[in-house]
Amino acid sequence: MSRINDVGGMVGFPAVVEEPDEPAFHADWEAHVLALNAALIRRGVYNLDEFRDAIERMPPDTYLSSSYYEKWFTAITTLLVEKGIATPEELATPEELAGG
Amino acid sequence: MSGNHHGSSAISERVRHVEALLEARGLVDEGEVDRRIDEFLAGGSPANGARITARAWVDPDFRDRLLADANAAIREVGLSMAGGLQEQRLKVVANTEDEHNVVVCTLCSCYPIALLGPSPAWYKSEAYRSRVVRDPRGVLAEFGLELPTTTRISVWDASAESRYVVVPRRPEGTDGMSEEQLAGLVTRKGLIGTAAV
Amino acid sequence: MADRFAPGDTVRTSTTDPVWHTRLPRYARGAVGRVVEVAGHHPLADDRARGLPGTTRAVYHVRFAAADLFGDGDHAVTVELWEDYLEPADPSGGTP
Repeated sequence: MSRINDVGGMVGFPAVVEEPDEPAFHADWEAHVLALNAALIRRGVYNLDEFRDAIERMPPDTYLSSSYYEKWFTAITTLLVEKGIATPEELATPEELAGG
Repeated sequence: MSGNHHGSSAISERVRHVEALLEARGLVDEGEVDRRIDEFLAGGSPANGARITARAWVDPDFRDRLLADANAAIREVGLSMAGGLQEQRLKVVANTEDEHNVVVCTLCSCYPIALLGPSPAWYKSEAYRSRVVRDPRGVLAEFGLELPTTTRISVWDASAESRYVVVPRRPEGTDGMSEEQLAGLVTRKGLIGTAAV
Repeated sequence: MADRFAPGDTVRTSTTDPVWHTRLPRYARGAVGRVVEVAGHHPLADDRARGLPGTTRAVYHVRFAAADLFGDGDHAVTVELWEDYLEPADPSGGTP
């Protein structure tokens, strides 16, 4: 049951690509995701290991096609539902609900 | 900052929505997100690792203490690993002529953020995480670091509780330089082990 | 509880493949390595990820020869592993 995050030693990934003058965040929402996660862990809504676990449980194709902070946001919303903080409907934007 | 990434505005909207919901439920205080972002950006920096490295280069006793108990040694220069939720254990490894060290987290993206700030995107990429444990010499060559075949490579998988910093080798011809000048030579990649100084 | 292993000990990692979160990477399973240091004591991540309190156990830096992990390579890989993932290696099983 090895999970998709467990990539050490796996073959087939491409050359490592460096980004020159890389910023800490590529968009404001990434910084907000980082801060929300820190706030929720600090409040004990979930712990860091539960957060890592939620990332690892992503479907492999979604995991591999998501950016770093997209994975984080997926894990946060997964845990908010599982911990009974909010329903999937409450977490969806009006546009997402309208789009089904 | 935003706009160049595919779907950026959609996810931006979703994050804003969840943030508003959490504020409404009292799980995030008003202004807390901005405060946490500011704290994060003002926190660790590669300059901290550069200071530690330069001190280790000029002071062999400090180097010994650093390799033996990094958490205690960095407190001597006013630094600490306590910037996060709790103080993390720091393990410092030093490159020599015979051995080169390189750090990865194969399972996620563990990195000494409290000390060095955010990690580079390539460190978090599946490409780096998968390949450097199996073929470090090949990956380092892609970074432009060609090591002699006589240099052993030691990979550290930071996949649990410790965080790692590499002390690069002091370059030749730097005898007359001050500690501050030496620190100016050290890069973030050098502290991870994907570059020499 | 006393630490089960000490630096210099040869250990073999677990081959089990749990459904839950674990910090024993797949590439380091069922491999023989050498303990290089005790890296503190922490609740088992596998337990914490499942909302269990987690017994605090020793965590070790275990060094493996790349050839023992991948069948190839002249480098070493050091992985930080909880005591729960380790068994004493069979002395006849070879050392890295």
